[in-house]
Amino acid sequence: MEGLLNYYAADSFIHRLNPTLKLAGIMALMVAVTMAFDPWTPLAFFLLGLFMLKVLARVPVRQFIRPLLLFVVLGALGFISANAFFYTPLPGRPVTILWQAGGVRIILEGIRVGISLTLRMLAIVTLSILFVSTTDPTDFVLSLIQQARFPFRLGYGILVAYRFLPLWRTELEIIRAAHRIRGAGERPTLRGRWEQLQRYAVPLLASAIRKSERVAIAMDSKAFGALPQRTYYRDVHVRPMDWAFLAGCVLAAAAIVWGMAQLGLLEGYGVVPEA
Amino acid sequence: MAWIDVRHLTVRYPRAPRPALQDVSFQAERGETLLLLGPSGSGKSTLGLCLAGLIPDSVPAAMQGEVFIGGQNIANLSVGQRTAQVGIVFQDPEAQFCMLTVEDEVAFGLENMALPREEMGARIAESLRLVGLEERRRERVDRLSGGQKQRLALACALARRPSILFLDEPTANLDPAARFEFFQWLARLRAEQPETTIIIVEHILDDLIAMIDRVMLLSHEGRLVLSGAPAQVFQTNGEVLDEMGIWLPQVTALARKLRAAGLPLDHLPLTVDEAEEALAGILPRGPLPAEPPRRVQGVSAGGPPALEARRLSFRYRADAPEVLRDLSLTVPQGAFMALVGPNGAGKTTLALHFVDILRPPAGRVFLLGRDITELTTADITAQVGFVFQNPEHQFVERTVEAELAYSLRVRRRPESEIAQLTDALLASFGLTPYRKMNPFALSQGQKRRLSVATMLAVGQRILILDEPTFGQDRNTAHALMERLQTLHAAGVTILAITHDMQLVADYAGSAVAVVDGQVRFQGTPHALFANEELVAVAELRPPPLYQLARRFGLRYGDGTSPLSIREWMALLQGAPAAGGPAKRG
Repeated sequence: MEGLLNYYAADSFIHRLNPTLKLAGIMALMVAVTMAFDPWTPLAFFLLGLFMLKVLARVPVRQFIRPLLLFVVLGALGFISANAFFYTPLPGRPVTILWQAGGVRIILEGIRVGISLTLRMLAIVTLSILFVSTTDPTDFVLSLIQQARFPFRLGYGILVAYRFLPLWRTELEIIRAAHRIRGAGERPTLRGRWEQLQRYAVPLLASAIRKSERVAIAMDSKAFGALPQRTYYRDVHVRPMDWAFLAGCVLAAAAIVWGMAQLGLLEGYGVVPEA
Repeated sequence: MAWIDVRHLTVRYPRAPRPALQDVSFQAERGETLLLLGPSGSGKSTLGLCLAGLIPDSVPAAMQGEVFIGGQNIANLSVGQRTAQVGIVFQDPEAQFCMLTVEDEVAFGLENMALPREEMGARIAESLRLVGLEERRRERVDRLSGGQKQRLALACALARRPSILFLDEPTANLDPAARFEFFQWLARLRAEQPETTIIIVEHILDDLIAMIDRVMLLSHEGRLVLSGAPAQVFQTNGEVLDEMGIWLPQVTALARKLRAAGLPLDHLPLTVDEAEEALAGILPRGPLPAEPPRRVQGVSAGGPPALEARRLSFRYRADAPEVLRDLSLTVPQGAFMALVGPNGAGKTTLALHFVDILRPPAGRVFLLGRDITELTTADITAQVGFVFQNPEHQFVERTVEAELAYSLRVRRRPESEIAQLTDALLASFGLTPYRKMNPFALSQGQKRRLSVATMLAVGQRILILDEPTFGQDRNTAHALMERLQTLHAAGVTILAITHDMQLVADYAGSAVAVVDGQVRFQGTPHALFANEELVAVAELRPPPLYQLARRFGLRYGDGTSPLSIREWMALLQGAPAAGGPAKRG
């Protein structure tokens, strides 16, 4: 019953970073990669992300291989094939036709664009995995509240919701089992599924509403939000290392972009390759 | 002036047909321990929410009357000041925490008071010590047992240093040993903090009543109808308590019966200690029979066992620990078997294998002698009914009557037959007046009856129930058990997973204890409780009447002791105890 992507508890340099600054650094890399339109720059960012994930954060491959493969397949099927068939060149640019039959043709430049898109997506996915699998959710929310002035009521709401996720899954399984015993077989037809969903939804919602009311009352009974200010037992610190990580990310992004430009591989960032 | 002074409190929830509390007035001193009794829906929890000032702020409801705490009208206090006075422990261990670790959870309530960090550290340590969780300070909340969670909830309340503790059915979800332990910690707390006023809502009173100073009883209408010392309340108001379905301590229930039978008892005992004193003069002379009375064992059809597990092992995930370990169990046809053991021992997991919800490997689980893996879902559900702990989980239709007809419609029985069977079930379970109602709108007792009825619709001969008496008052639990007894007499095999020791003592013909995924005991309830080592590892509590019998050294020839009121009555009145179903007091 594990989700596709989870926090992977471990002790590493990346794990110990302040969540907010870690997020800022990783976001810097993500923004940098979105602006590169060639295949090589996103590839460099993708490899950098993998390096941080595997070597610096020591997250085992099995932890992130499934979501990654999912996006590889998605990219290959979606972006690459769509662009190969439907690529529209900039006006006045020649295209290289690899294969043609009737009105259908496969264009080399289209494949290139598709690969670039796929690699950009993979780089962003890898960086997201890097953040999610190395950040304790409680620390993340506390850090958002303490460092990023995130409203604490909302923050704690998110924490409670997160705590309850596995409970709902268990609850849904119990309801499914209970209904199966009633002789309510799960029918594969669309209508059957719809009716089934309705039948599961009522007890699940009834219980969800009841439980969330209870938690809300329990939190209120401990004076949650009674004072405009609250103190924190667990301080999420900001250390020089966190700022160094942020600076490092910005520098790495700049270095990659600059290096790619020097090699003449960069497109995007206002750089247009010569015809 | 009393520390708590409630004056003419009336509370009405929006769209409710009548007020939840009506004109309730009472006072309580510092250090008093009050027990709040009442049928479900009598406003017990509402009273706690009012004291803590959560009504009308957090819970929308119209409130009239006044609440004074420490001489101050709480309506004039800020939300922070109000909640600082009252610490609440709620019933549901799963729905009162919002943080992931023990110390963060305790800290949560202190952070809201904006305490400095150094003081929080000290208070966390202190409150965890008071409930015996100091070793678990950095543990994740979801790794705690139910009993530990409720003690954590108590610690969270204590850390805020309230003058009043309101405990709202804190042990309802716990197994018997955990309940006993919770009360032990509470007794210790009372000794250490004699200034704290404790108000506790509870149903099962045997291990609690000794520390209660005063009992208050709320009626169905939310009126405060009785208030006084426990002995006095139980002594003179038997009929009122019976009518409202209030559980009495078992020794009290026994003494009432004895008094009604004309035995000289000038006051009713509340605890086993008191009962030992009160009954000393009227104990039976001479030896007890060689064996305890046998319970009627239904109509046994002979033939293959109703349910059987052979060397069954199970784990939920490949990397998870084994929940069932090479477990073997035979449930003969016509049995009325109680399945007991600690939370998490594998009782429900085992039961789910008997209906193929959890799929066993071939050759491990047998239904009426046939390998369950070779049967279709329709075959299985035609033979076995399974009543889940929460009846709502099983409801699939919008009216009571459609709910009962559902399994029959799925099986495409003719409509005339469906109508006939549905009517018969409605009548026999007392649900006819509610036939057009939505199942979710029924009361707890009605929901439970409906869920049992639906499981018998297609003529199932085997009924598995998960905690059938959970959360019910004495009258509804009693009615349900009588119903099961009737079914059993008609030949239905019953397997009940339960923490209710009174159910085991009064109704079960046999008992099975599952500990750590293995059957550690199978035999009569008498033999179960006589095995003291087992009672400890299975986290059970011997029924109070058994404890009392042991105090007096009352043993049958086989070394076991009386468990139920019926047996005691037979012994003391000299009437034969054997035969007939046991009755609950």
